[in-house]
Amino acid sequence: MTAHTIGTNPSSLRQQSLKVLETLALLLIIAFIMLPIFWLTITAIKPREKAYTTDIVFQPTLDNFRVIFADYTVIMNAGTDRERGELGRDMFPSVVNSVVVSGATILIAIPLATLAAYAFSRYSFWGNGVLLVWILTTQFIPAIVVAIPFFTLFRTLEVFGSPLLGTRLGLIIVNMSIVLPYAIWMIKGFVDALPGEIEEAAFVDGCNDFQILFFISLPLIRPGVLVASVFAFIMSWNEFLFALIIGREMRTMQVALMTTRGALGIMWELMAAAGLVVMVPIFFLALFIRKNVIDGLTMGAVK
Amino acid sequence: MRKKRWVPWVLVGPALLIIVLTTIYPLVAALYFSFHKYNLRKPAQFAIQIGENGIHIDWSLLTLNNYALAFSDSRFINSLNVTFWFTVISVALSVIIGLFIAVIVQKGGRLHTLTKVLLIFPFAVSPALKGYSWRFMLNEEYGIYDLLIDQLIVAPVNALLSLLNALPLVEIPLISESIVWLGDKFWALFMLAMSETWGWAPLIALMFVGALGSIDEQIFEAARIDGANRLQIFFRVTLPLLRPVILIVTMLKTIFSLKMFDQVVTMTGGGPVRATQTINYYIHQIGFVRSLDIGYASAMSYILVIVLTICAALYVSLVLNRD
Repeated sequence: MTAHTIGTNPSSLRQQSLKVLETLALLLIIAFIMLPIFWLTITAIKPREKAYTTDIVFQPTLDNFRVIFADYTVIMNAGTDRERGELGRDMFPSVVNSVVVSGATILIAIPLATLAAYAFSRYSFWGNGVLLVWILTTQFIPAIVVAIPFFTLFRTLEVFGSPLLGTRLGLIIVNMSIVLPYAIWMIKGFVDALPGEIEEAAFVDGCNDFQILFFISLPLIRPGVLVASVFAFIMSWNEFLFALIIGREMRTMQVALMTTRGALGIMWELMAAAGLVVMVPIFFLALFIRKNVIDGLTMGAVK
Repeated sequence: MRKKRWVPWVLVGPALLIIVLTTIYPLVAALYFSFHKYNLRKPAQFAIQIGENGIHIDWSLLTLNNYALAFSDSRFINSLNVTFWFTVISVALSVIIGLFIAVIVQKGGRLHTLTKVLLIFPFAVSPALKGYSWRFMLNEEYGIYDLLIDQLIVAPVNALLSLLNALPLVEIPLISESIVWLGDKFWALFMLAMSETWGWAPLIALMFVGALGSIDEQIFEAARIDGANRLQIFFRVTLPLLRPVILIVTMLKTIFSLKMFDQVVTMTGGGPVRATQTINYYIHQIGFVRSLDIGYASAMSYILVIVLTICAALYVSLVLNRD
């Protein structure tokens, strides 16, 4: 009783210290997750002379962004190689490449995946289950095995009079191998969750298979298709190996990060600025599909 | 039933065709290349020749040399080793840290919820960028990680050691404060695995949070009433219940770790002295950077395919047999 009144109740003290420990653990987790992102962000807006220090007090600047997006014609008119390198990186074409490649990839993949996902969910046909599992396992093929034959094929395969190697089209084709399977599985999950009664009613009312698909089911799974599109966009945006081997000089932003190398090694303030351009749009997209990322990555295996 | 039999095939057809073309075609082609002498620097001759007289097969052009070469190539053996240890370290750390995060974050509360939202952020950072940012932060002169490790870990440990050394009993050497993380064979591989862990542990935590949420709260309640403390509940109740999910997640992460490539390029470049040359990186070096030997690169990638096929079969059976 006395112990209680002076506030040294052992069990409540224990509770208190557990609470403190838990808060500390949470702060540690937040630090673990956010430190690289925070550090990249502040490095991107640091003036060059501060980028190579651990100072966190500095005068913020947008100079690094100016350098990485400097106009190429201006760069070429500069004197020595060294001066050109210092002047700028002209990353704008890479941003365009990334947007075009990722955009076109989902524009092609998502409609096809939606139709396939609908069929896998709603029809039972010969090989349905086996095909689905097979589609899942294609994701375990190492990307390098896909890249090697496409590299040799695209060296000689010409479309519109030039080889596919080093073109956006070539990169889009190869990206299908990673994007389509995920998209099919993700969208199938959304179709599965849709009750079948509405479709049955439409059938009774005389709609045929395609009318049901396009006028009844598709509008209902639109949110799911959007989520899958965003997921697929992130995947092809962050893709690196194909961009390096197949995209080559048609650099996406992931590969353009490598061009921040200067005469004395990587210029970190430029790398950080380019990195910010690469990751900030994806933060918003990732937050938007936050609840579905795990289902996407595991193809619904962990629920 | 209402459904016509050809309808699903029309719907599945186009997607299936593209998947076959972009995955089965390269698998077959790479296998075919792997049995040939095929170097990009020289004109290649293939066994199957299509000429005016139809298809002719020249068996003498097929060879097992590329596979034989792989197992006598010490650099390839080294890459198997590196990949193995990278996988072991990154999978173990990702799953354990992921589990830790999940258990802490799972309960309600503002800070918990905030942390849960932040967990998605590393997913948005591309592996290539991850590699660069870690390389930058580990720099021995101006890296923030280097500073933090020295201040928060090395300095206190050294203080303790010098205290012990003050007693005339033992002489323990102090830890160096000038370790060049990516210049040391062990630390470079470890830090590569850490960068992978940074990207994956939060995602794995989210997977576990989902699985924990689906466990009936009454089970924990019953354990508490029976007088179990937190640790007992974790080891005797939570872990056994999570076992199927832990197995699936571990297998999935193993597969992703075996496929890892991007960060090796941007973080360590395979060094120091090949200490971080994973299989994928070495294949890339042989096929596209150094000797341009596509036949050999294909053979090595097929060895990786076989390993991954085994993992994939395990994974699929784990997922299918879960319930």
